[in-house]
Amino acid sequence: MNLEPRPPGLQETARSPHASSRALARSSAGASARPYAASAPYLFLLPYFIVTAVFFLYPLGYATVLAFFQTSGPVRRTFVGLENFSYVLNDPDFYKALWNTLLFAVASLFLQLPLSLGLALLLNARQDRLKGFFRLAIFSPNLVGQVFVGILFAMLFTPQYGLFNKLVFALFNTGLQERWLGDPALVMPAVIIASLWLYVGFNMIYFLAALQNIDQSLLEAARIDGAGAWQRFLNVTLPGIAPVATFVVVTSTIGSFQLFELPYTLLRQGYGPNNSGLTIVGYLYQFAFDGADLGTAAAVGWILTLLILGVSLIQIRLSGTTRKDR
Amino acid sequence: MNYPYGKAPLAILIIAILSGIWLFIVELRSRSERADLIFAVFAKEHAEAYRKPIREFEIENNVRVQLQLVDQRALQSRLQASLQVGAEVPDVVELLDGTMGLFTNGPLEDVGLLDLTDRLRAEGLDQKIVSSRFGKWSSRGRIFAVPHDIHPVALAYRRDIVEQLGIDVSKLTTWEEFARVGREVVRADTNNDGVIDRYMIDLPADGGEALRLLLLQQDIDLFDADGRVVFDQETVAQTILWYVRQFQGPDAIAYPAGWGQTLSQSMNDGLVLFYIAPDWRTKSIESNTPALAGRMGLMPLPAWTEGGRRTSSWGGTGLAIPKSSRNPDLAWKLMQKLYFNDEDLGRRFRDSNILPPVRSAWSLPEFGQPSSYWGGQSIGKLLVELAEQVPQEHSHPYQRQAIAQLNSAFGRAMLYHRRSGEDGLIEYIREELKVSADRVRAIVGRNRFLNLGESGKSEHHKEAAERSGPQSKNDPASTEILPVLEVR
Repeated sequence: MNLEPRPPGLQETARSPHASSRALARSSAGASARPYAASAPYLFLLPYFIVTAVFFLYPLGYATVLAFFQTSGPVRRTFVGLENFSYVLNDPDFYKALWNTLLFAVASLFLQLPLSLGLALLLNARQDRLKGFFRLAIFSPNLVGQVFVGILFAMLFTPQYGLFNKLVFALFNTGLQERWLGDPALVMPAVIIASLWLYVGFNMIYFLAALQNIDQSLLEAARIDGAGAWQRFLNVTLPGIAPVATFVVVTSTIGSFQLFELPYTLLRQGYGPNNSGLTIVGYLYQFAFDGADLGTAAAVGWILTLLILGVSLIQIRLSGTTRKDR
Repeated sequence: MNYPYGKAPLAILIIAILSGIWLFIVELRSRSERADLIFAVFAKEHAEAYRKPIREFEIENNVRVQLQLVDQRALQSRLQASLQVGAEVPDVVELLDGTMGLFTNGPLEDVGLLDLTDRLRAEGLDQKIVSSRFGKWSSRGRIFAVPHDIHPVALAYRRDIVEQLGIDVSKLTTWEEFARVGREVVRADTNNDGVIDRYMIDLPADGGEALRLLLLQQDIDLFDADGRVVFDQETVAQTILWYVRQFQGPDAIAYPAGWGQTLSQSMNDGLVLFYIAPDWRTKSIESNTPALAGRMGLMPLPAWTEGGRRTSSWGGTGLAIPKSSRNPDLAWKLMQKLYFNDEDLGRRFRDSNILPPVRSAWSLPEFGQPSSYWGGQSIGKLLVELAEQVPQEHSHPYQRQAIAQLNSAFGRAMLYHRRSGEDGLIEYIREELKVSADRVRAIVGRNRFLNLGESGKSEHHKEAAERSGPQSKNDPASTEILPVLEVR
């Protein structure tokens, strides 16, 4: 007697001829559904791929081609080789825009982020009922966007009547008629002040989330071991939020390099006296939309991309978040 | 219902299909209901003034005209993009001064607006309009828009305070005298808090349009009639020097009152006494500072030399017909109704204070009526007198860049003055003007599509070559002009 178990199909075949035909039907239905089922994920992903291809990959490829052409709107172009890049890299306005952008990026890193972290620490430490209110209040400027903040701060910075000038005058008895948006030396500080109000709360939310994820037992252990507040911050809190901090630093830097709407609206659709509020994206915009020279604008876009890529890679490398031992 | 991937994807699919059908129906309906003419304007005052004549036009011609009020920046950028890619555009459109260059910075045949030169000449309409106004709506000798206005510039002032200070405005005939009175009589700290709270004139801190109109007053535009950059000349340097001195230092009489609410506040407070006021601004002053009714006055600009021009020009609107207009003849007819009908022009002036460039309309009673807001003064009469002196302007595709460069030179002069005072200031201004003008020449010279001459090189390339010299690093004339590639 053969005691070996039979395969299920054979067992059914042996039991009844009707069961066999049902199994066959199921099997053939499964065979026809299987290829459909296999392609389903791709079908669901197709809209995403189409949108990415049409609105990202194609423009990206086309921008690469355009950077080597001079254009007159989208209908005419002539090949100019590297002339667009050479023109931009020899243009003093580009360096002015680069300087302003770098200044803003540095201010973001060394003013905005420490302020965000400070506020997050403050909110994380307090356990009162108003915590939620403060979190919303500090975050809320971000809900209105750069254009609104630009228009609002243009009024706040008005000489003689602006609230900001009045505050400065009340505190220091000077500066009532300071021309924040009319003095080349004060334009970028004005942009930075407006951006602080806009972004400090936004980054604070990230830091707050990271702080809330720190293992409290580590902090407790450090406290029992006699570590002071500063030591606990340096040796427990900071390493605990490092990945989020790296993310915030990189995204803030990328955002800083893309700065456009805030100075543009703050300076009444312009770039300030002596181009003191001109940023790299503003410089790109001038070529693309004031001069209809999409080729040079594409070249500026690529230079900006390389700059962002370089700075981001340096930041990630310095922060050490990509090290395998982490 | 059995859907293999669950309820959520099914719901998304149904929503997608329904919204697609809805959008399709909306689009079909809007196409079937589309007016015979779509007319886009950016100025609310213009839209208000056009409603009545448009209703009359609709009845007279048995057509439907849809008037669209669109934000200026949005109108300009969308029109620009739509014309370039051949998308749907309005049938008639009003453009803002300074934007013509955005449509004319390629070969003439690429300009997306109808060339109106021959139509205007054939019907003699070019003779009815002050000819200098066509300059800003033309490119390479062809007219692409009809001017809506002439915009003579005057000075609006706080009549009550000026009279209280004993200033006789009829004696403020030159800018020199104006500045002297500003220094000696007006500038003051009235409440002794250490802050000056009365200034003579409102001028923008970055030069802005004020610098340009002060140059126009002296017959200096950024480009000449042939499109050459001409703002690096001695008169411009001297004007910048004058402007800087009025703005900074112990003798400063100018203050940037800004726009909107802060401008109105400074008028109400008497922080600044004199305001540069083209005709269109007089209406905003009336609307925004009603409390000053009867306490304001309007006078001609002081001249740069005794007996010189007492006005300039600031701003402007032009009516254009896109080449892809569905009914250019009907659009042309509408333009004639709105821009050349004397009766409508009189009414329009009454509603907007904007002087039309059509001379025959200036004798209408509306232009001579005294205004209670301006203390019984007939501002129409003054504006008509000034209109005869309005300087010629030239449109250029790179006008915006030229204004930006001129203002950059001005900004650097302000910084130098603050840092080093008067020593070497005029020499510095001359140098910076040259740098700025050369940069505009380089920008213009790079454009290989603009005004290709018979030799195959752009006229602007030639000018850039003449100015910069053949050895110039950025000399565009020395580069080969490659054949234009049609990718349409």
